[in-house]
Amino acid sequence: MKRLLGVALGILTAIGGFVDIGDLVTNAVVGSRFGLSLAWVVVIGVLGICLFANMSGRVAAVSGRATFEVIRERMGPRAGLANLGASFLINLMTVTAEIGGIALALQLASGVSYMLWVPFALLAVWLVIWRVKFSIMENVTGLVGLSLVVFAVALFLLKPDWGALAGQAFTPSVSGEESVGAYWYYAIALFGAAMTPYEVFFFSSGAVEEGWKVKDLVQSRINVLMGFPLGGFLSIAIAACAAVVLLPAGISVTTLSEVVLPVAQAGGQLALAVLILGIVAATFGAALETTLSSGYTLAQFFGWPWGKFRRPAAASRFHVAMMVVLLAGVAVLATGVDPILVTEYSVVFSAIALPLTYLPILIVANDPQYMGKHVNGRAVNVAGLVYLVIILVASLAAIPLMIATGAGA
Amino acid sequence: MILTDVLGSDVVDNSGQRLGEVSDVRFAVDASPGQLLSKARMVGIVVSPRTASSFLGYERRGITQPWPVAQLLRWRHRGSFLVLWEDIAVIGPREVVLRPGFTAYESTLAF
Repeated sequence: MKRLLGVALGILTAIGGFVDIGDLVTNAVVGSRFGLSLAWVVVIGVLGICLFANMSGRVAAVSGRATFEVIRERMGPRAGLANLGASFLINLMTVTAEIGGIALALQLASGVSYMLWVPFALLAVWLVIWRVKFSIMENVTGLVGLSLVVFAVALFLLKPDWGALAGQAFTPSVSGEESVGAYWYYAIALFGAAMTPYEVFFFSSGAVEEGWKVKDLVQSRINVLMGFPLGGFLSIAIAACAAVVLLPAGISVTTLSEVVLPVAQAGGQLALAVLILGIVAATFGAALETTLSSGYTLAQFFGWPWGKFRRPAAASRFHVAMMVVLLAGVAVLATGVDPILVTEYSVVFSAIALPLTYLPILIVANDPQYMGKHVNGRAVNVAGLVYLVIILVASLAAIPLMIATGAGA
Repeated sequence: MILTDVLGSDVVDNSGQRLGEVSDVRFAVDASPGQLLSKARMVGIVVSPRTASSFLGYERRGITQPWPVAQLLRWRHRGSFLVLWEDIAVIGPREVVLRPGFTAYESTLAF
């Protein structure tokens, strides 16, 4: 019974933890412009993150090494440092976006400008990282984040033409006003939102934090293979809500108000309240994960003691790095830059940086000196290779498409 | 001198002909006893004709997965060889000079 509860809890937190500000904004933007015609990208992204998280979790559990320890060991200091630089900057962008997301959600709830909520969000994130136990932090934000299910409920309440939605999803085409370039640009953005590198840094470091052994792999596999796809359904529900309400009305998503508009229309104030709670929890959880990830990547690369299982005094550089990252993120927000814009760029840059972390994990997951008999099987390697190609194509195409389409305008 | 100073330097023979770049340095853990392991002893350098980039672990013969990453990396490093410490005349700031009549050993590792 206890085991069953553990599995259920793992799945639930994986669902709640899957959606962050990147998924919220990108799916709503895509839904409002392209309907469900990019839903296939979410499916590809979710399968990819399942594969990637599984591999990095297995490497962490078997070898006891988290992602950036592996990168440092396999790529050497120089190539590793370039990799760290890129991953770290993109992670910083994501931290900025998530803190902005918390503040924007609180603005929706209170009417007070988000700029005034930013310092509050910073302090709350830092206090939780400093004081709260890893497992409690994960489970609470994941479970409360489940309130985002209200998107799926709202979709039913909106009584959409299911046939038309399915038609958009299964026979994708670019609608009249949109350009093919913008379609593919947003395909990459959605892919980057689903397969954000920080999820993997966090997942593999979390495996070390929680002291996973080989016998825990089954449970982690169930969590990932059940939780992430259900999280993907939530993503598609966000896009579908936007497709049903915003697309016909010609409303474009430029703030969080438009993201929540379909839910407010379908379910009224109560649904909106539940949704805002869900957005705060999801962005707060993701802010914790990205902040921790920046500490993890730096500490793992430079060989500092790291982890929340150590007292802060015993992992001082790890904690100082996270404070600096949080302050840097807040400094970016203080310039008045639009957090939604930061989010839109952060998901694309995530897609650009993805090969840097994917390839080393794929290589080490095949190395018997690290993995013993737990090296990748044949089927996993075939899937791994297919995704290597997809990830490389998305990464290489992103910048040219960004320039050609004016960032999807 | 630290490892980073050596990695990527040009390797030339005693007549000044360029042979490649230092892409790796081999150590054996068999010197005087230390606290946990013996101290490391430098065995020699791995010279790669085309690139100083890392082998990413594919210097070991037994590692062939995932296709085609392993094959591509091997191909990029084709013609690599190991030169023992005894055969190195000078490790300078810019280039490594080998002694006349040096022996080029197979650089792949057996396991």
